[in-house]
Amino acid sequence: MGTLEGDDIAVGRVGNPVCGDLMEMYVRIKDEHIDDIKFQTFGCGSAVATSSMITELVMGKTLDEAVEVTRADVADALDGLPPVKMHCSNLAADALHDAIRNWRASKRLQPLSEQEIASSGAGCGAREVTYVEGTKEYTGKGVYTTVDDLSELTDKRVLVLDKGVASARLALQLTKVTPRVVFVTELETLGLPDDVATEVKRSDVKVLFQSRLLAVLGEGEVEKTLIRDLGEDNEYELFVDAVVLLGA
Amino acid sequence: MDDRTVKGRKGARVSETGGREEGDVYLDYQSAKPVDPRVVEAMLPYFTERFGNPASLHTVGDRATEALEESRAAVAALIGAQPEEVIFTSGATESNNLALIGYANRNKRAGDHVVISEVEHISLHNIGKYLAKEGLRVSKAPPDQYGRIDPQKVRSRITDDTILVSVGWASNEVGTIQPISALAEMLRGTGVALHVDAVAAEGLLPIDMTAVPVDLLTLSSNDLYGPPGLGALYIRKGTRLAAVTMGGGQERGLRSGTENLPAIVGMAAAARIAAEELPAEAARLTAMRDRLIEAVLETIPDAHLNGHPTERLPNNAHFRFEGIEGESLLLSLKDEGIWVSTGSACSSKTLEPSHTLISCGLLHEEAHGSLEFTFGRFSREADVDSVMEVLPDIVARLRHLSPLYRKV
Repeated sequence: MGTLEGDDIAVGRVGNPVCGDLMEMYVRIKDEHIDDIKFQTFGCGSAVATSSMITELVMGKTLDEAVEVTRADVADALDGLPPVKMHCSNLAADALHDAIRNWRASKRLQPLSEQEIASSGAGCGAREVTYVEGTKEYTGKGVYTTVDDLSELTDKRVLVLDKGVASARLALQLTKVTPRVVFVTELETLGLPDDVATEVKRSDVKVLFQSRLLAVLGEGEVEKTLIRDLGEDNEYELFVDAVVLLGA
Repeated sequence: MDDRTVKGRKGARVSETGGREEGDVYLDYQSAKPVDPRVVEAMLPYFTERFGNPASLHTVGDRATEALEESRAAVAALIGAQPEEVIFTSGATESNNLALIGYANRNKRAGDHVVISEVEHISLHNIGKYLAKEGLRVSKAPPDQYGRIDPQKVRSRITDDTILVSVGWASNEVGTIQPISALAEMLRGTGVALHVDAVAAEGLLPIDMTAVPVDLLTLSSNDLYGPPGLGALYIRKGTRLAAVTMGGGQERGLRSGTENLPAIVGMAAAARIAAEELPAEAARLTAMRDRLIEAVLETIPDAHLNGHPTERLPNNAHFRFEGIEGESLLLSLKDEGIWVSTGSACSSKTLEPSHTLISCGLLHEEAHGSLEFTFGRFSREADVDSVMEVLPDIVARLRHLSPLYRKV
């Protein structure tokens, strides 16, 4: 754990501090080999474990070899992770790959601002953008990437995908215009600052934990979604009229 | 049976109470209804002295034909149909089979696509699965959160190949009444036939085929407090079907098999009673239903009404209680002598949540936390009080045990 400094350091960063899933990799590179590697994360225990594992896996390897280390390799090296935690190992591998990509592109990342760090959320990083089938097809037909006018969703069954605090606050606001707001998160608990989490728990927002939005379906417009229960490892349909994927 | 009594559980005499014992509260009329004693009385002679096969050419046969046709006219009158537009079947399931399979087979050249609403009874969806296996395309139209099928949702599924749309008059589960007139209006002139399963609505809502251009309508005898094992299918003049049951050519060749005359006479008697008593009975049931809904929503925290707040069957109150299983509620109520349902009677024996509730947008645990009360002809105002005496405590006790119910 920690950071590295110097001209021979490649830095990779994935996630978003606002979402609480930030992961940074610092790699010292000598003759195309990984000479030292450290990381920082705002993520959960699994994120720490996988980051730690990946530093062991790639230490001393060439950059070409390191690029070959996949998300699955990290999980395998830890003798597997529960499905809900798979995204954590993804973060570590993604940050490493980002570091190598940046190095090769001669790109130097700027450190995060004080403000970005202060506003970072708690919890495990589950909010990387996973591919959701149908989001493009239904944009303007029930899929929203921004909601400027809440009244558009009056009395609709709305699914809000967990994109951190902003999405949780939007879900809370939506309960004023519709009785049906479902907040879908891949986490086991609300990965939100305590005050927001408490507000969500007390509200009429229905939270689906350990759930991944796989697809948006319908005939011409959003009519239902396909959800994967990461805990039970099965899939089912959830009927909604609108899906909100902030910033997707 | 001169005193019109039937033996109930423990052999108690339970005449005129719809088959229930003193103190017991039956609020599951959606699952099964007792036969009205007046219907039983009308049927009895047809088992013995007034027996007969309408196909026989002698006096006994003629007498049977007369009873058959009078009965047909009585059932037709209930729904504003012509007698020749009604055929008798063995029940709603057979009527639905004949309507969907018979229509699809007869109209193959017109197309191969059928639209069925998501909130239909499982038996209808299984017919849909059969049609799909036979090579037809079957689409499902989803409801809104109240269980209503928006005609636009049906329209967006209609293609040049669509031949039939099937939507129930009302949901047997959440009790929501469908906008059948608007659906029929939307389909007018498209050449697409409309089939309506009216089992949940018959006897509770006025149904008039002269006012609403439905092509095929399914009726059940027991849901009118007639004998089980009998149903009818209304077939609008000009609507063509292929028979599904082959045999002696009874019922215009569409439903072979010697007519079950005692049951047919029973259904006719039930239809006459229903037609006469419907306005007063619907008002009486609506008052009871509303009193229960109001009491439950006011008394029990985190209780919600499933289905439409106003466009619902007069006898149906369908709730969900956050954090508890419907089945544990059902069993606790059973201990108190109150008999209800967790939704579709067919699904009570499986762990799958009701597809109707799921299509309304409920999560699995919410669907599992649902409970259906359906009032009927022998329900009394006191039944509402009996429920409210015990339900709040049962919900509180079960929530105390539930890991899912943790309000901060």
